[in-house]
Amino acid sequence: MNIDLSEALDTKYGRSGLSCEVGPDAVELGEEHVLTIPNVPRPDKFLSDSFKGQEAEVLKFAHGTTTLAFVFKHGIIAAVDSRASMGVYIGSGTVKKIIEINPFLLGTMAGGAADCSFWERDLGRQCRLFELRNKERISVAAASKLLVNSVSRFRGMGLSMGTMIMGWDKTGPALFYVDNDGTRLKGNLFSVGSGSTFAMGVLDIGYKYDLSVEEACELGRRSIYHATHRDGASGGIINIYHVGEDGWTKISSEDSAQKHYQYKAESTEQASAPMVTS
Amino acid sequence: MMDFGTPVLEPGSANGTKQVPQFNPYQDNGGTVASIAGDDYVIVAADTRFTLGYSIPTRKISRVLKINDKVMLGTAGMQADTCALHKVISTRMRMYEHDNNKRMTFNAVSQMLSTVLYYKRFFPYYTFNIVAGLDDKGEGWVCGYDAIGSFEQRKIVCNGAGTKLMQPVFDNQVDWAQSWDGAGKPNLSLEQATDLMKDAFTSAAEREITVGDTLQIYKITKDGIQLEEFELKKD
Amino acid sequence: MFGGQDSKQHTVQPYVTGTSVIGLKCADGVVLGADTLVSYGSLAKNRKTSRLMTVSNHCSLGFSGEYSDFQEIKSTLEELMISEYCMADNIPMQPRAIHQYLARVMYEARNKQDPLYNQLVIGGVLPATGEGYLGLVDLLGTNYESEMIATGYGTYIALPLLRKAYRPDITVAEGRKVIEDCLRVLYYRDARSIDTVQISTVTKEGAETTEPFKLETSWDFKKFKAGSRLIDESTW
Repeated sequence: MNIDLSEALDTKYGRSGLSCEVGPDAVELGEEHVLTIPNVPRPDKFLSDSFKGQEAEVLKFAHGTTTLAFVFKHGIIAAVDSRASMGVYIGSGTVKKIIEINPFLLGTMAGGAADCSFWERDLGRQCRLFELRNKERISVAAASKLLVNSVSRFRGMGLSMGTMIMGWDKTGPALFYVDNDGTRLKGNLFSVGSGSTFAMGVLDIGYKYDLSVEEACELGRRSIYHATHRDGASGGIINIYHVGEDGWTKISSEDSAQKHYQYKAESTEQASAPMVTS
Repeated sequence: MMDFGTPVLEPGSANGTKQVPQFNPYQDNGGTVASIAGDDYVIVAADTRFTLGYSIPTRKISRVLKINDKVMLGTAGMQADTCALHKVISTRMRMYEHDNNKRMTFNAVSQMLSTVLYYKRFFPYYTFNIVAGLDDKGEGWVCGYDAIGSFEQRKIVCNGAGTKLMQPVFDNQVDWAQSWDGAGKPNLSLEQATDLMKDAFTSAAEREITVGDTLQIYKITKDGIQLEEFELKKD
Repeated sequence: MFGGQDSKQHTVQPYVTGTSVIGLKCADGVVLGADTLVSYGSLAKNRKTSRLMTVSNHCSLGFSGEYSDFQEIKSTLEELMISEYCMADNIPMQPRAIHQYLARVMYEARNKQDPLYNQLVIGGVLPATGEGYLGLVDLLGTNYESEMIATGYGTYIALPLLRKAYRPDITVAEGRKVIEDCLRVLYYRDARSIDTVQISTVTKEGAETTEPFKLETSWDFKKFKAGSRLIDESTW
């Protein structure tokens, strides 16, 4: 079977229309490596057929997450939790869900952990090739487009990825949402994952464009904290990154459980009237 | 157990269009691998029981691959995939050595395994891996993987059938997970880590049917790799 | 979709099948045993088909599962042995190498979603030391070495007997008797077995597979005659 990859490889940046011939059971990736496709009538249904009902538990490491990012006056804030669940089992409580693609680009992780970390690492490779070919950094718009092109080739095959790509380029701070359906959106505020609704509620109330960096970090932190409190599939460490003109910096890494008691103590201090109890 | 007994289509069967089940290329052969890393050592442990459903066709298979004097790979899950994966990793490792005229570092191995696993994203190796080794400074580390290559570097990881029984105990005893300030966190010596590993596996063998027979403990230090075998329950 | 639409229909069920193969590693070699029946469902299709083959001077092979797939494997192996012979380097292919070769063949077939529906038992000696070698490969590519191996019903019936009989210093002559006993017990209880069997012995002197011969059987056991329920002491 022939798969024309000329569209998949972004012709605007770098290699011009390249067409590869690949076998029915392989799709080329990069220079020499391939992703194997099972030789069955419905390769997209292969995994769910082989692991009836237990696919999520066996193969998807990270599911259930809260991630958020927003643009404000001084750049972008990204805030995430760190829990990876396999069904009801907590696979890890210390996952790094903010992926450092290069010194100017960050990606977040929601959905399949392997899908996110592999394609965002591959994105890092593509961005580096762009720099070498063009003698300048890639724009966030182009980078997110490379990512969405990569995953679109496998649409319907069961990839699971909901990510936010952010960074600072010639146009200033830029934030994009990219997912495995091929969605790519530019925006000022996103939240992704099972806990995103909780986070969004807190975020929308506190969000202003004119926040200081400290205020913005605390808003992100509180939003994630409230999500970890109400969403069972979110928890662990709250990681905060800030993207500024000179690239990203890691702001903090704090235990959400400890935050709970800190916030509780602060709220009782602030309460002017005694709490009404029944 | 594969049953070669009765074909679905009996000779002379009237219903020639009977639905035949699709061939399932996967099988769970059980097993658990675990690793504890210290300041100047890392130990890798794996049981040797090979299960097939409720049967134990053999009690002595190896789940561990030596990459070089500083790095080892442990794999639980399906034996045929484990064997194929170990062959792929061995050849890739050999190719790397010839291309770069140096040994693969712990970080190189851990990243390579991740991509090798992901290349089979749509037809995965049914394997659950750990890579344990000493870094450039001689400090012990271990990476734990899922079947399609997502991994995390830690000080203590276990993977495979006994994970749910063993990991919480390791979190408590090694990572001091329930102590927020980390006060009193033990810095396990090689001997303490080995003893903890033996306890964890004997306990897992008590409650998980696919764990048992023999425990192989590989101790990686700056002086090389040493193997200790420890007998587990055989029932 | 990738792959998909033009992939052909593959074997997903065995049709003409052989039952258990058993093997025991001994101090001075290896013994393999199998009966000579191939069945088509519950029909005893052929009562005198050899399920053991001599691969080389140092190696024998037995199969259970689909007969046609085994014939394919057999011809592949024979080709391999001819190219080995053509090397004329006096370096015989070791049983372990043959075992791993078969493991790769079986694993590749399963990867193509077109398995060779067999379990293969490889018995051999290491020509240098005369030490026995015994290994198994199945249709998924699962492969391991062991002192005693049994496939199919043999896993339940013969394997415990083999484990009981095994000593590190057991000789091929003794092992041959054990294998014969196991085949007899299998014949008593495995409905897809037959009393005509072959035994293959591999020692430093060479690999030898017997002509099919009849097992001596006795049906005089009390429980065979009376039926086990009748002499049960239970009050149920």
